[in-house]
Amino acid sequence: MMIVRMVLWIVLAPLLPGLINKVKAWVAGRQGPPVLQLYYDLIRLCQKGVVLSTLASPAFVVAPAVAWVAVAGAAFLLPLGPAGAGVSFRGDVILMVYLLALARFCTAWAALETGSAFEGMGAAREVSYAVLAEAAMFAAMLSLAVQTGSVSLVGMLSPAPGAGTMLLAAGMFIVLLAENCRVPFDDPNTHLELTMIHEVMVLDHSGPPLAVILHGASMKLLLFAVLLTAAVLPLGDLPPLAAAGALAGGVLLVTLGVGLTESFLARFSFRHVPLLLTMAFLLCLFSLLVAWKGGEV
Amino acid sequence: MSGALLFSAACLLAAMGLASWSERASLSLTMAGALAGLVAAAATLLGPSDWEWTSTFLLGGERVHLRLDGVSAIFLVLVSIIGGAGAAYAREYWSGQPSAARGRVWWNALILFMGLVLVVSNGLHFLIAWEGFALCGYFLITLDSRRPEVRKAGWLYLASSHAGTLALFAFFAILAVHARTWDLGPMPGVPPSLFWLALFGFGMKAGFFPCHIWLPSAHANAPSHVSAMMSGVAIKMGIYGIVRFGGWLPVPPDAGYAVIGLGAVSALLGIAFAMAQNDIKRLLAYCSVENVGVILIGLGGALLARANGNAAWGQLALAGALLHVWNHGLFKSLLFFGAGSVLHATGTREMSRMGGLCRTMPWTAGLFAVGAAAVSGLPPLNGFVSEWLIYLGLFDAATTRAGFAWAALPAAILLAMAGALAMAAFIKAGGMVFLGAPRTRPAAEARECHAGMLAPMAVLAAACAAIGIAPGLVWPAIARAAGSWNPAWAAVKTPLFTLGPAQAALAAFAAAAGLLLWKKARANGVRRDLTWDCGYRAPTPRMQYTSGSFSEIAGGWFFWAFRPERKLRRPHGPFPSGSLRIERVPETVLERLVAPAGEVVSRLSHAALGLQQGRLQAYILYLVVGLAALSIFVFLEGSYL
Repeated sequence: MMIVRMVLWIVLAPLLPGLINKVKAWVAGRQGPPVLQLYYDLIRLCQKGVVLSTLASPAFVVAPAVAWVAVAGAAFLLPLGPAGAGVSFRGDVILMVYLLALARFCTAWAALETGSAFEGMGAAREVSYAVLAEAAMFAAMLSLAVQTGSVSLVGMLSPAPGAGTMLLAAGMFIVLLAENCRVPFDDPNTHLELTMIHEVMVLDHSGPPLAVILHGASMKLLLFAVLLTAAVLPLGDLPPLAAAGALAGGVLLVTLGVGLTESFLARFSFRHVPLLLTMAFLLCLFSLLVAWKGGEV
Repeated sequence: MSGALLFSAACLLAAMGLASWSERASLSLTMAGALAGLVAAAATLLGPSDWEWTSTFLLGGERVHLRLDGVSAIFLVLVSIIGGAGAAYAREYWSGQPSAARGRVWWNALILFMGLVLVVSNGLHFLIAWEGFALCGYFLITLDSRRPEVRKAGWLYLASSHAGTLALFAFFAILAVHARTWDLGPMPGVPPSLFWLALFGFGMKAGFFPCHIWLPSAHANAPSHVSAMMSGVAIKMGIYGIVRFGGWLPVPPDAGYAVIGLGAVSALLGIAFAMAQNDIKRLLAYCSVENVGVILIGLGGALLARANGNAAWGQLALAGALLHVWNHGLFKSLLFFGAGSVLHATGTREMSRMGGLCRTMPWTAGLFAVGAAAVSGLPPLNGFVSEWLIYLGLFDAATTRAGFAWAALPAAILLAMAGALAMAAFIKAGGMVFLGAPRTRPAAEARECHAGMLAPMAVLAAACAAIGIAPGLVWPAIARAAGSWNPAWAAVKTPLFTLGPAQAALAAFAAAAGLLLWKKARANGVRRDLTWDCGYRAPTPRMQYTSGSFSEIAGGWFFWAFRPERKLRRPHGPFPSGSLRIERVPETVLERLVAPAGEVVSRLSHAALGLQQGRLQAYILYLVVGLAALSIFVFLEGSYL
């Protein structure tokens, strides 16, 4: 069962970036790359050789693998509607957030290995903006905990949402965009290093390590989409099949939302990024206050 | 138990005596003493009862009364481990220095006095031990007293330490008056407001914000093994005082909020200041302010829970705080040892003058990276375990929705922000020092340090990993200490047996994945080339991101707290020359708050100096005026009665 769950995460994750690209192409009136493009890229990258910077140590190759394991571990902790979580214990929500932090640590560490100014810039941006994103994340998780009276992900995500759900959803959607380097925080299309946060940190990676990084990024996107959907929908109150359907539908809706945001919005200048993240934090904070002051569950 | 402690003290005294005679004998005796202390502390933590010993011997008119219970044993474990590891590290690190023998004497004396602070159970003797401990710290900080900045840092340490000790004199004296004895123990009858005095007195040593003024310069300028001891253990003595007397004395109802608030502010501002530093040891010192804040958040939660019907979540918060005492001691000492090795190899503490050391000093780099990940609170290492316990306590508090538990919400969010900033600060520290290309010639020519310096670091790193992967092993000790702090929390089931396997699995999978990917990359073929710089083929080390630019974004958010000094000369004209930009984050609290206040006091004293002009008539006039004032006072007092 555990293996099936992990295989599902690993196999389905690269679908999301493909879907987002399709949505973007559809809005722009283009045909766009195939939905399965990322799968082809991953397979191709796995067969390629590796070009390493002369400055890089073995940690440069090991770090992406650790980051991938961290993201996979976080995904393993996340309950999938009726299927529950791979492992569930009190406080697993904190472990999930910190696993994502571990992934960030590894990526930023590897980025600094190269001694490139661009990658230093990207690492500095990533770890700085993470301060606000993490505050928003904790406010969101606290509001779910207060609302449901539970401190494990299964208990927090299955009951019917409370009064502050729309605030929470808006805040978490912004965090999703920031953490997954989507517009308006980052532009996954461009390769102009100066404008990027996350993409710039992986400039020097190639071959299998790059494949691992790309796959990890897609898994992180799926993780945030599932988290957002499960926080908003009362998956625990639905019959199993309907819950699974609702989860899948919700994830597709989030994907559509990301694609549409990307089609209709330009990337913000860096001065505005902290402001938008602060807004996400405030939205989550208000939802926390609503949950704190709200009536009994 | 008595035997182990006596043996430990004897070894340390002998080590002091042999310090200048035989280095090796002195070191072995220090290690034996530390080991005996560790055994005694472990036996207390794992055994059922406390150790207590009362003698008929009088010291200062008071009977010697020693006691080792769960709370003090926790701290004694840390003193022993870092005491031993630091002595081993110093053998290579501080060898050949003229002050090496002196350093060994004071080092052993420091361990001895810290042990005494932990076991004495009499207010008067506590003060004696406390003063001895503070003085040993002073002499260790100023070992390299030829450098003026060391003398200055030492003086600041001594002055701040005594400001705190002054409060402690008042505290113990008032305590003795109310309890009618100097003996220490649970004292239900004394006024709760005494806690504030203890919080200030011990807080000066613990170095939470804004009592941290002495900490950055003292920890940065001391020899690195001393920095490790001061940062990892000595400031914990302040924490010990707050934990101890927060447990024994009745505390005011608002104390929990105050301690949580102080902790949250220290955590956030401490790590923000750390982020802004360019000196590796100053960065580590400010990070200690953050970690003291983390400990205080947990302790404040425990005080709050105990004041409101012994809520069970308080035990988690307290356990997290106590475990963080260990964890911070372990990884901070590891990091200071690492910084010391780097300083030894390159001769500088400026991170902007280092870089690329991971190729010349791979072992130091790897061990420093473990410490950096641990201090950032990342799984599967030990920093995460204690922070997880504190978070779990705060989350549990939030889910009760009890009115008094509101403080858990801002505390959890601020703790999360501090954690993210800690990661930023240590990515910066690790990246600037060890990664990229060497920025200067000394950095390029650095050599890996001696195995005698690496071994203590490896031991500490292994301890960090062990507590991270098998936290269930240390739980009995922590639970015992929490139980002796508040007996209502003696028997609570551990949550760590659920976290432990998850951490172990994470470590195993991460190692396996790393190995697999490395093999796969090797199998596909590895080619080396220059770092990609948009096609530019001649990058120089000066083009790398610097420590200042790395912290610019986060530093900008804390502009209001830093009050940085800026100097900017823009380029002008068609042939610009000599443009520069200098930004320095000062010791804001010291330079902008304490120093001006000191200036005012000094001016007032100078003004009062005018009274002393050496004329006998004037002095007689003062006497007459004084006597007249006194008689009027006595007369009025009588009329009130």
